[in-house]
Amino acid sequence: MTQFFQQVINGLSIGSVYALMAVGYSLVYSIMNFSNFAHGGVIMLGAYFGFFSLTLLHLPFFAAFLLASFGTTILAIIVERIAYKPLRERKAPFLYFIISAMGASILLENIVIATIGPTFRTYPPVFERTPISIGPLAIGRLDLLMFAISAACLTALILFIEKTKMGKAIQAAAYNIKACALMGINTDKVILIVFGLGGFLAGVAGVFFGMKYTVYPQIGNITTKSFIAAVFGGLGSLPGAVLGSVILGTLETFVAGYLSSQYRDLIAFVILIGVLIIRPSGIMGKNTEDKA
Amino acid sequence: MMDWTYIQGILMLAGINLISVLGLSLLTGFTGLFSFGHAGFMAIGAYIGALMTVSPSTTPAGLGLPFFVGIIAGGAAAGIVSYFIGRITLNLKGDYFCIATLGFGEAIRLILNNVQIFGGSRGWPGVPYKSTLPVIILVDVIAVLFLANLIKSRHGRNMIAVREEELAAQISGIDVFKYKMIALIISAVYAGVAGVFFGHYMTFIQPKMFSMTKSTELTIIVIFGGLGSISGSVLGAVLLTALPEILRAFEIWRLVFYGAAVILIMISRPKGLMGGMELTPSGIRKARLERKARLDARAEARRLNGLEDGSAEEGRGA
Amino acid sequence: MAAILEISNLTKRFGGLAAVNDVSFSVPDGGIVGLIGPNGAGKTTIFNLVTGVYSVTSGDVKFQGKSIVGLPPFKIADKGITRTFQNIRLFKNLTVFENVLTACHMSAQYNLAETILRLPRFRKEEKMLYEKAENLLSIMGLTERRDLVANNLPYGMQRRLEIVRALALDPKLLLLDEPAAGMNPDETEQLMNLIGRIRKDFNLSVLVIEHHMDLIMGVCEHIVVLNFGLKLAEGKPEEVANNPKVVEAYLGTTEEA
Repeated sequence: MTQFFQQVINGLSIGSVYALMAVGYSLVYSIMNFSNFAHGGVIMLGAYFGFFSLTLLHLPFFAAFLLASFGTTILAIIVERIAYKPLRERKAPFLYFIISAMGASILLENIVIATIGPTFRTYPPVFERTPISIGPLAIGRLDLLMFAISAACLTALILFIEKTKMGKAIQAAAYNIKACALMGINTDKVILIVFGLGGFLAGVAGVFFGMKYTVYPQIGNITTKSFIAAVFGGLGSLPGAVLGSVILGTLETFVAGYLSSQYRDLIAFVILIGVLIIRPSGIMGKNTEDKA
Repeated sequence: MMDWTYIQGILMLAGINLISVLGLSLLTGFTGLFSFGHAGFMAIGAYIGALMTVSPSTTPAGLGLPFFVGIIAGGAAAGIVSYFIGRITLNLKGDYFCIATLGFGEAIRLILNNVQIFGGSRGWPGVPYKSTLPVIILVDVIAVLFLANLIKSRHGRNMIAVREEELAAQISGIDVFKYKMIALIISAVYAGVAGVFFGHYMTFIQPKMFSMTKSTELTIIVIFGGLGSISGSVLGAVLLTALPEILRAFEIWRLVFYGAAVILIMISRPKGLMGGMELTPSGIRKARLERKARLDARAEARRLNGLEDGSAEEGRGA
Repeated sequence: MAAILEISNLTKRFGGLAAVNDVSFSVPDGGIVGLIGPNGAGKTTIFNLVTGVYSVTSGDVKFQGKSIVGLPPFKIADKGITRTFQNIRLFKNLTVFENVLTACHMSAQYNLAETILRLPRFRKEEKMLYEKAENLLSIMGLTERRDLVANNLPYGMQRRLEIVRALALDPKLLLLDEPAAGMNPDETEQLMNLIGRIRKDFNLSVLVIEHHMDLIMGVCEHIVVLNFGLKLAEGKPEEVANNPKVVEAYLGTTEEA
């Protein structure tokens, strides 16, 4: 029984990292209606920014953390300006956005390989390795922190979207961005902020991922799973992205724990197939019909 | 370093890539569906093909059948798998297809990593060397002709219509799902066949040869050559296979360049190298006619604007 | 006169909102019917319901006596209903000729094998398709522009091309969604003549959504008025024009170009 709860906790901790990745992705999707496949590259660079802040700049942990996240915020905005904005202005078809996103993703991954190099890096130990014990259960300090910060970020995000004026603008844009523009909302600014928020979350996710595992240029590939989690939870729904990620993380941990770690990575794809066959709009997705 | 064996090697790789690229060109360039996982179809082709041809004395699982059986089996297997993927995803919005192909490509790789009779992640050596340049060129020619004949027909036009404006295609009586499926299956078969040739050229296959990087490289070639141009795909495949070999020293920067080039192409000239045009007599004629029509229209608009009324509407001669 | 299209108690809900609410009317065979109403009244939604783009919440749509509810759009086009769009959905990167040629596809039967192998049936039918497309362009006065990329056509011609494309499918019922949008009075009059001519030469019925009152009054034999998803009034043009409820719905403004 303790084994069970221990797995649940492990699952939640990896799930919360997936959630951070998935939410940033879903946020952009809800506004722009396209999948920002470059998101993975930004997450990866978040991990690197954090790593170098700690090792080269010798910053204390939270400073490094914040620096990395601001770095990715700016990076995400730069990607948007260069790779997507020109397409938006030309009202390019959806296909072009995806292709451009793919280009950005390859560019980011390989710039790192070409400059910094493909070797795996490990974050220097920031916390004590001894886990915190709650009764018979052990929770790693890092996991606890990840969970706490993820929860804090997501709560802040939800509050921002629900309670602030800009947040309402974002909600409006998610429904119909053209109508927003007609209503006098500066949609360019809204898009900027949405990408920036996604970028910030990507940085947080990247740093945590790097700390929990290792830092390498192909981290972006892990985000495939978070895309699947977002689809599972319902593309465009933020709570859905969180829910989908947490379930995915938990299922993965259970499979790795009770079956075999070899099958762990396949869970995501099994879920994907299940979602597409049974309910493509995902757990919390909305059913929208194409308007003629 | 310019001896014939070396050049021949490059040509063969280019020829093999071309088969995949042509298939992908049909799917992405002409039908407008973007796949992140076509290397997965190549993998299926490579492994099933090897299964057919490897002699049982080398690997117990092998069947030791002739090469052409491997080609047919590999292509067919890829096609069949693509049918099932299509059934699940093609009715949904574009993003779902992309994510599904992404998932599919990765899943194939992961599954193959775990199938021990195929050598798992360590790979499968001992695939007989069967790919020769003349055969590859022959297959390329057949592949191009097949595609060209398909495009220049109502079936091809329907696929292009799906790419251009799916809703309008629907109400023009085009069964969008059916045509997407046809494009997907053909592109998968092409990729599968390419995979068979690839395996029988390298004589060794390993799941990581068919990673997402390979999938995206294929798509990059299609984009570079230009969406909707067969000759573009041919040129692109040859150039982008040969170039990296020649620029070996800059290997690590190759993909950086590709990534940047893709973004640049999308934001400035999405029609790529060929601009959607074909390098054939009829293609050039068509491009000339379009250009003339455009210039004529512009001239007439200017002439009419010079007349009294402000509207640039022309051609009231109905 | 039998009805070619019968809409009975048609309702479409989006969530809690009824975009079309219990609407019934019919289009007589060979007739030209106008569908008018303020913006957001549900007119395009009805088009989408008839052509299968939207699913029907309740009610029925009968074409030539048979229900077409639940059929996918391409099958409905096959049965003989085609349409144009409010915001012109041409195949923008294709030429004028290619737009029409593509739409002619249903007139040929050759399959994939015949296509790849360039068998005789392919050659014969493909030639027939080319001729048909050229013919349509010539009837509709677009031959000179056949090689112009559709996106470069002047606006009025784009609308005309969209109609030609719809005609390529040999429809029995043509749905036109604001075909005169953006046209000046001269062009509108030409369009009116065109619609009348098409009905006669192509032997079809027309249902047209419009805000241009001169076109509606000039060419329609029967008018249906919608407001907030409900049918407000119906009848001959003069009757509808003098109906106080209709006038009120429009608040006395007639749409201008």
